[in-house]
Amino acid sequence: MPKVRRSRKPPPEGWELIEPTLEELDQKMREAETESHEGKRKVESLWPIFRIHHQRSRYIYDLFYRRKAISRELYDYCLKEKIADQNLIAKWRKQGYENLCCLRCIQARDTNFGTNCVCRVPKSKLEEGKIVECVHCGCRGCSG
Amino acid sequence: MAMSKSTNTYNRQNWEDSDFPILCQTCLGDNPYVRMMRDRYGKECKICTRPFTVFRWCPGARMRFKKTEVCQTCAKIKNVCQTCLLDLEYGLPTQVRDSALSLADEMPKSDVNKEFYIQNMEKQMAATSDGSTAGGVLGKTKTHSEMLLRLARTTPYYKRNRPHICSFWVKGECKRGEECPYRHEKPTDPDDPLADQNIKDRYYGVNDPVADKLLKRAAAMPRLEPPEDKSITTLYVGNLGDRIGEKELRDHFYQYGELRSVNVVAKQQYAFVQFTTRSAAELAAERTFNKLIIQGRRLNIKWGRSQARQGGLGIGGIEGLEGEEVAPQPLEPVPGLPTLPPPPEELQNNFFNLPSQAASIPLPPGQAPAVAGAPSIRPPMPPGQAPPRPPVPPPGSLPGGPPPVSGPLGPRPPPGPPPIPGVGPPPPLTHGIIHYPSQDPTQMGANPDKK
Repeated sequence: MPKVRRSRKPPPEGWELIEPTLEELDQKMREAETESHEGKRKVESLWPIFRIHHQRSRYIYDLFYRRKAISRELYDYCLKEKIADQNLIAKWRKQGYENLCCLRCIQARDTNFGTNCVCRVPKSKLEEGKIVECVHCGCRGCSG
Repeated sequence: MAMSKSTNTYNRQNWEDSDFPILCQTCLGDNPYVRMMRDRYGKECKICTRPFTVFRWCPGARMRFKKTEVCQTCAKIKNVCQTCLLDLEYGLPTQVRDSALSLADEMPKSDVNKEFYIQNMEKQMAATSDGSTAGGVLGKTKTHSEMLLRLARTTPYYKRNRPHICSFWVKGECKRGEECPYRHEKPTDPDDPLADQNIKDRYYGVNDPVADKLLKRAAAMPRLEPPEDKSITTLYVGNLGDRIGEKELRDHFYQYGELRSVNVVAKQQYAFVQFTTRSAAELAAERTFNKLIIQGRRLNIKWGRSQARQGGLGIGGIEGLEGEEVAPQPLEPVPGLPTLPPPPEELQNNFFNLPSQAASIPLPPGQAPAVAGAPSIRPPMPPGQAPPRPPVPPPGSLPGGPPPVSGPLGPRPPPGPPPIPGVGPPPPLTHGIIHYPSQDPTQMGANPDKK
């Protein structure tokens, strides 16, 4: 969510329906930003940011593609205003990536052996009873 | 002049750039498709402090990542794994290996000396070997040690690659619970000497607690000491089984020297192998003790007994090994056995510090004192030969005390192990435990003063 509204244009129809939820998510994001890192691991401190970012994009994505509750204009406006993450939604529309947690987890170039994150490994392929928490966003498995 | 590290090579020590690490099987882990990360000049060697190529890999599932700790030159000088610093051939600490092969490594430890030494070693190794053999003193020795083979592990020990113990959990603060990659286990005792190791001591082979433990274990291994008597040239070979005969034994033992005789006692499944020379026997004992396996049977090797001391054991007899041999089981003395006449020659000796006058009196055979150390198997007393007793017990002899064996000599100090109270042969006052029916006074009919 941008701090400053960049366009002077008034938001399209239906904005007032989704605004309270977005405000609430915005508030949660502020809280997560100001939260102390005390007692957390280094990698852990960013996990709530990633989670709220995912949640907000997911909200817009669901409204437009699943429930078809908002108009194309409002959806485009949300993407343009960076309320929803365009790249993340683009991945969600691909098969196999429907629940992707974050974009870092599929960035193979960032890993030593050119692999995806452990949260991208299907539960059936993991050994029985193993609990994973990926270091990027704390995801516990986003691949079915 | 450019001062960046890549361009300024003036007076710069050689930095190692390698394609493959020198590792032991344990450190590599059980996965044959291990993936490694290579970091050129990633760290300094913990021994020579020169930058070297660090490799990092995961040695299997649920193991911690490992990396190389010392450079390849340092590893080659001592022939050790780059990670665990254990010998590549035996998997043992350098201290154990060096003491077993009696190598004295005079590797300098001060800065400049070390640099010079390593430089020389590098030159030497580059000139002589293809990089697959050990450098240093070790490369020159050709000796082998039994002790090392015995101490060495035969299979890789993957427990060494497990994750470390979670320090937060030890403090009771670990919040990661199940997904914590570290081990939630009780740490080892900090007073344990094994808890205090350091990489330099282990590399140079000094003050290594692991090596101390292993050397102690080696010292405690069973060993076959050659007997004092130099005339003994006989070895006892036990656990023969049915199929191993004289021929098999001859076939094996003649390699150590000329055999004088091989005596197989088939019934008891042992044999005595006699050599003509003592040195051959010693060699055979050393080579075969705890190692000899013929036809799948591990044979039991011991030294024979000397000719002078051998009893009825055939040609050799077994030298009593410390606690290992079947000791004659101490039998509980059967109480109530009638006293025996001692062998006549013992009568001549003054065993009991009796006055010479008393000792000089020859005892009639039926009135002998109970003799200490009499043979444990006593011949049964002929019936009706119970020693006669005075009708009144002599003063001072306790009821149930030592049996009145005195005859004309009066009470005597009980020799040797005191007879068990109450069960003296014809019990004068008490009715002791009756072991054999024939001891029962009521049945014997030869007990006139039974009350």
